[in-house]
Amino acid sequence: MKAFVTRMVLALALAITASAVAGNAPRPAQSAGAGSEGAPTAEMNEKWMIEGQKRFLINCGRCHQSPHLFSPRVMSTAVRHMRVRAMLTQEDMDYLLYYMTHQ
Amino acid sequence: MQNRFARACWLATACVGLCAVVAAQQDAAPPSVLFDAKPTPILSGGVAFVPTWEGGDPTLVSIVSPVVLVPLGNNFVFESRAEFEGDFQRRQGNSGDFTGAIDKSLEYAQVDYIGNRYVTFTVGRFLTPFNIFNERLYPNWIRNTQSDPLIFPIGTGSDNGVMLRGGVEVGKDVTLNYAVYFSTLSNLNHLESERHAGMRAGIFMPHERLEIGGSVQHEFEDARFNRYGAHLVWQPQRIPFDLRAEGVYSHEEGNGLWAEGAYRLHNAGPAMLRRLQLVARTQLFYASTFTALNPDLPATDTKRTEGGFNYYLNDGWKALASYGRTFTSLGNSNIWTVGMTYRFLFPLGATR
Repeated sequence: MKAFVTRMVLALALAITASAVAGNAPRPAQSAGAGSEGAPTAEMNEKWMIEGQKRFLINCGRCHQSPHLFSPRVMSTAVRHMRVRAMLTQEDMDYLLYYMTHQ
Repeated sequence: MQNRFARACWLATACVGLCAVVAAQQDAAPPSVLFDAKPTPILSGGVAFVPTWEGGDPTLVSIVSPVVLVPLGNNFVFESRAEFEGDFQRRQGNSGDFTGAIDKSLEYAQVDYIGNRYVTFTVGRFLTPFNIFNERLYPNWIRNTQSDPLIFPIGTGSDNGVMLRGGVEVGKDVTLNYAVYFSTLSNLNHLESERHAGMRAGIFMPHERLEIGGSVQHEFEDARFNRYGAHLVWQPQRIPFDLRAEGVYSHEEGNGLWAEGAYRLHNAGPAMLRRLQLVARTQLFYASTFTALNPDLPATDTKRTEGGFNYYLNDGWKALASYGRTFTSLGNSNIWTVGMTYRFLFPLGATR
C-alpha cells in the first residue's frame, strides 16, 4: 500500500512537472487565415461556426438538450466545466466556445 | 494482484505525464478562439419532483441539486455539487401523511487544473469515474429514465483524492478519453469515500457517434477485490436515437448490465410531437453470495424493464412518465414514475 502511494505520488509529480513545461508552450496566436487586425475573416468564421455546430451536436447532444445562450463570460465558464466533466478535447472546447458565443 | 494493479496504475499515470511533455512539442493549432471573455462564476443545477410508486407504495422524490462553478485564473476551476433529496413516504405504507428526512450530500467539491490539451489534474472530492452514468448521466434533468440502474451502486459514488483525466484527438475520427484516480478512506459525515484506485478509458468516434470504453477499480479495503465495467454510447447520424448501455462485473458484489434506447420524434409532423422522446430500458442484475458487502444492491437476482416518455417543454423544463416491471425470485412488482425536472443557470458575477 505504502509503495503504491509512493509510486502514485511520484507519477503525479512527474505529470505536474511535465504539464507545467508543456503549459509554457505558446498557444497559437491568431490562426492562419485570420484578418490582419486579429479578427477572423468571414470565411474562417463560417468554417468555425460549422465545425462548432457539428461538435456541439456530437458532444453536448450526446447527453443533454441545448442550453440557453448566455454571455461569452458565462459560456466560457460552462465550457471549462464541461471540458473536465465530459472529457472534451482542447479542439472541442475551442470550437464549442466559438460557436456558442458567435451565434 | 495488488502489485500488478499498482504497477499498471503507475504506468498509466506516468504515460499521462509523458504525454504532457509530448504536448509541448506537438501543440498543433486548433482554431484560435481568442476573445477576451473572462470566465465568470455561475450557479447551475437541477430540480426534480418525481413521485414514484414501487410495489404500490408511493414515494415523493424531491431533489434540489445546485452546482457552483468558480473559474480561477486561466487554467483553474473550482466546481462543486451538493444534493438535497427528500424521499417522502406515507407513515403506514399506503395511508397516512407523507414524512421523511432530507438527505444531504456533497457529491463533488474539486479544483481542476487544466494543464494542457492532454491532461487535467483534479484534487478534492470528485465523482468516481467508473463507467459513465455517475459522471455524465446522473442529474435528473439529463437522465432519460429516472430510476437509478440496478448496478449503479457498484464502483460509483464520490471519492476524496486525486485524479488525472483528459480527452485527446488521436486521429481525424478518433478521440481517446481517460481518467486515472486514487481515493483515500474517509468516514466523515457527508464526505465518505473508499480507499481505492482505478482507471477508465474510452474511444469516441465522432463520425460514427459511437463511444466504447472500459473501467477497472481495485479496492484496498478489507477484501481487496476488483470491479470491472464497460460502457457504450451510440447515436446514429440518420435518426434521432440514443443508445446507452453499461455492464459491471464484480465477483464479490455481483454483476449485471442495462441498455437504454431513446427516440426523439424530431421528424414528427405536428410540432407538439417533436418535443416528445420515447424511452425504454431493460436491465439485469445477478447478485453475488456476499450480499452484505454492498447493501445498496438488490439482495437477489433481479430483472427490470421500463418504458416511458420525456416531454421537453422548453429550454429547462422536462415532463416525464414511465412504467416498469421488476422481476425477482421473491416476487414481481410494478414501478410507476411521473414528474417534472428543471435545469437552471445563473451568473454569479459580471457578465460583460
